[in-house]
Amino acid sequence: MNPATLIPAADPLTLPWGWFQFLLMLTFPLHLLAMNALVGTSLAALAAHLLPGPPYRRLSHELAKALPFLVAFTVNLGVAPLLFLNVLYGNLFYTSTILMGLFWLAVIPLVIIAYYLLYLYDFRFRQLGNGAMFVLLAVLALLLTVGFIFSNNMTMMIAPAGWGRWFTTPGGALLNLADPTLLPRYLHMMTGALAVGGLCVALYARIALKGDPETADAGVRLGMGLFSWLSLLQVVVGLWFLTTLSPAVLRLFMGGSGSATALLGVGLFMALAALMAGFRHQVGLAAGLTLPLLYVMAFMRDTVRTGALAPYFSLDKVPVTSQVQWSPLVLFLVTLVLGLAVIAWMLGKVATCPKEVRP
Amino acid sequence: MNYPVWFVPTFGGGLLIALVAIVHVFVSHFAVGGGLYLVLTERKALREKSAAIMAFVRKHTRFFMLLTMVFGGLTGVAIWFVISLINPAATSLLIHTFVFGWATEWVFFLVEIVALFIYFYTFGRMDDRNHQLIGWIYFGAAWLSLFLINGIIDFMLTPGDWISTHDFWSGFFNPTFWPALFFRSFMSFMLAGCYGFLTATFIEDAALRHRMIRYSGIWALASLILSLPAGWWYLSVLPAPAARLVHGASPTIARASTTGAFSLALLSGLLIALILLSPKARTRVLTALVMITAMGYLGAFEWTREAARRPFVINGVMYSNGLPVSEVSRIDQEGFLQNARWVQNKEVTPANRLEAGRELFLHQCFACHTIGGFNNDIIARTRNMSFTALRGYLATIHDKRYFMPPFAGTDAELQALAAYIAGGLNHKPLTEAAGAGGDHGKELFEANCAACHGADILKPILAGWTQEKIRTGLDRLPSLNPAMPDYTGPPVDKDALAGYLVSLNHPRPQTAAQPAPAAPAAAKGAGLFADNCTACHGLDQIKPALQGWPRAKIRTALDKLSALNPAMPDYGGTAAEKDAVADYLAQQTGGAQ
Ligand code: HEC
Repeated sequence: MNPATLIPAADPLTLPWGWFQFLLMLTFPLHLLAMNALVGTSLAALAAHLLPGPPYRRLSHELAKALPFLVAFTVNLGVAPLLFLNVLYGNLFYTSTILMGLFWLAVIPLVIIAYYLLYLYDFRFRQLGNGAMFVLLAVLALLLTVGFIFSNNMTMMIAPAGWGRWFTTPGGALLNLADPTLLPRYLHMMTGALAVGGLCVALYARIALKGDPETADAGVRLGMGLFSWLSLLQVVVGLWFLTTLSPAVLRLFMGGSGSATALLGVGLFMALAALMAGFRHQVGLAAGLTLPLLYVMAFMRDTVRTGALAPYFSLDKVPVTSQVQWSPLVLFLVTLVLGLAVIAWMLGKVATCPKEVRP
Repeated sequence: MNYPVWFVPTFGGGLLIALVAIVHVFVSHFAVGGGLYLVLTERKALREKSAAIMAFVRKHTRFFMLLTMVFGGLTGVAIWFVISLINPAATSLLIHTFVFGWATEWVFFLVEIVALFIYFYTFGRMDDRNHQLIGWIYFGAAWLSLFLINGIIDFMLTPGDWISTHDFWSGFFNPTFWPALFFRSFMSFMLAGCYGFLTATFIEDAALRHRMIRYSGIWALASLILSLPAGWWYLSVLPAPAARLVHGASPTIARASTTGAFSLALLSGLLIALILLSPKARTRVLTALVMITAMGYLGAFEWTREAARRPFVINGVMYSNGLPVSEVSRIDQEGFLQNARWVQNKEVTPANRLEAGRELFLHQCFACHTIGGFNNDIIARTRNMSFTALRGYLATIHDKRYFMPPFAGTDAELQALAAYIAGGLNHKPLTEAAGAGGDHGKELFEANCAACHGADILKPILAGWTQEKIRTGLDRLPSLNPAMPDYTGPPVDKDALAGYLVSLNHPRPQTAAQPAPAAPAAAKGAGLFADNCTACHGLDQIKPALQGWPRAKIRTALDKLSALNPAMPDYGGTAAEKDAVADYLAQQTGGAQ
């Protein structure tokens, strides 16, 4: 069966696709950042329980308080890019979602359980003692599973060649396991997440825990250690990922497309620079390099998607509605600006608010 | 049609949507009303300088955060996951139309999260004025989320002018926008009062506990009373067909509405009792009951709204099975299978008929019917229907039963679907002569042969053939033409078929007379009954109801069925047909005279 005949027709876009692409690429790395911080902080908190000494105890307690926030922001910041992905690639994304429906739905309970476990870890920190390690192990297992489910969907939606399997397995129990890019892509994402999460821990320790230098120091040491070694691993996995790409997509990065090749070059360069900064425990520099690197990675990822879909689907071919309406976009942008202003005001109030509860 | 179907035979997606939506609705409305409850209760504590009430607010905030942020936030995402899984075409349409409405809601969601975290974690640290302001920001953002999502949800029921203008704002501020917004706002305040009860029962100090229970009770009761006119307003602006459904044309909806009204009444009673008897009536059982009834009220409303949209996901625009309304007439011409992407049988042939029928079922009916599941099981629903009856039923399914979409496709496709349901699922012969005085052989021919060659093509070929020759031919069709599959019907059917075929060239049929019915009119009535009534009730089911009815009474009733039960469509048969049905029913129920 010709997979192209299976691809659902895309609904017309209400604005030229560049707008949605811009918003997708703007918000997706923010979700990645929050997700990385969540996964990496969970790992760091676990490691802090294994390391000896009171500073590490205090560090894990501080991390415990931060973790529930990270779930909330990971979910929230995931909503925006998922929305724009729905607009741009809904026809492909819904299809792969249906093919793996059971697993996709499992994401929700898995995240809810992880979320409550992290609240348990926070609110019951003292009672749990070192038993907390089991809680964190469970959280990591849950989150890494969720990541695996996402990797499956994101790779399956760009691989219509495997979609015909639905005819024999229509119950939503398919995964994309036969795809050679799945495993390296997933591992690349997750080693990256754990590494960047380590960096977040170091950053958090340096900025928020400076009142307690011992703990801050423990946080920086642990965080940067995780960041450096896992980033090194991530570079290796990334190269493996590159080799599994289909020849057509690989060619894009090897000179076939100027922008793709430049992205790869810049990405590698920045990754190596961040790595050096990491091994030298230069937290600020490493963070300054990593945030833009996340954007570079997101664009490379987008290149893989466009390249893999090239034989079947291109955003240029999706129709745009005849009367383009700008006012809803304006509504959104104005609300976004106001919303961010209100958030900034609220955070300002927190910053000036006393640390101790009034008698 | 455009998308594959998530197919777990015994499990309908509709049920999953309903479950997730109902859970989310309770928590998300609470997340809105609860915001107001928190700030006002905080103010009360400050005014009365009561540290105990403040401690209560704080404890309630923690419960509120754990419930709304984790569970509420993720079930909201879950709804999105579930609808894109079960109604991808509609989700795509909604997202494309309202993407910036959703994006704006996302901003409020972000503000909500930040505000709630700050509100909870700065209790007792931040100065009172700013702390309350943060609470108000939380409530404002939460209510604005409701404002936005309300527009999109109501669009599905009443798209209004959007259908012609495709204008974002006319779709958003659609005819049910304002009444639904009022209703939902009051509902959210009511739920906040209910959850307030729940935490208040945990207060140690008896006097304070009673005060807070009474306080929450007044909240809930006042909001409940205010919600009544809003709900009434909402019902009064529903479009006519939806309104008719709500008022009893569909049994499930009628049931839901009654449940809603019933739990509503019960709820008010309980609340009042609680408030008046407060010192003793503080038991958790009672508050749990209040919760259940409150949720019943809101649940019935949501259920009704969902059901009132049937057979559409987006009223007048797209049917629940993803079929765009504007496409139906084209598909009737060109064929459904030709136009569907996720089917393997692009055309109905005698060999693939059941398979093609299965694919048609999957794409057109599975949205609302499980196969052997407990939710609207198609096998149970069609147990009484013969192949012939099903064919008749499918041809007018939407006209007779408004809450189902029309069957979209060619006649051969309709036959295939009927064959799949009758033969494939119910294991009935696809040849049964249940038709009204129908020629059995002719029906067999239509069911088994006409897909490839009609009678007019066969007539010249069979000229000069005797009935015996035709009958023998039917035993070995592939030897006549290798493209022809064997006909596997029982010998009696073959006899009947041969009789019909010979009659094509010999107007006086030589067919073996069918067993002479005892009373011809009653036999005709039996056929009519099978075709028109058994979809909903077999003879056994109505026998008790008709016990002792004289024939004349039955006959009169047949003229005004919808007056007997609003769920029953009027019978459009001729007077003679009604006579026949009346004869048959009277004879069967012992009232013949
Ligand atoms: C929009 C949802 C929906 C779709 C799509 C749908 N049905 Fe139904 N159907 C219902 C509901 C609801 C009932 C039961 C109504 C009740 O009694 O409460 C029903 C009842 C039936 C019945 C029982 C007889 C009757 O009229 O109550 C049959 C037979 C039936 N459907 C066949 C089909 C077939 C065949 C298809 C596909 C072409 C189909 N339905 C598509 C919602 C749907």
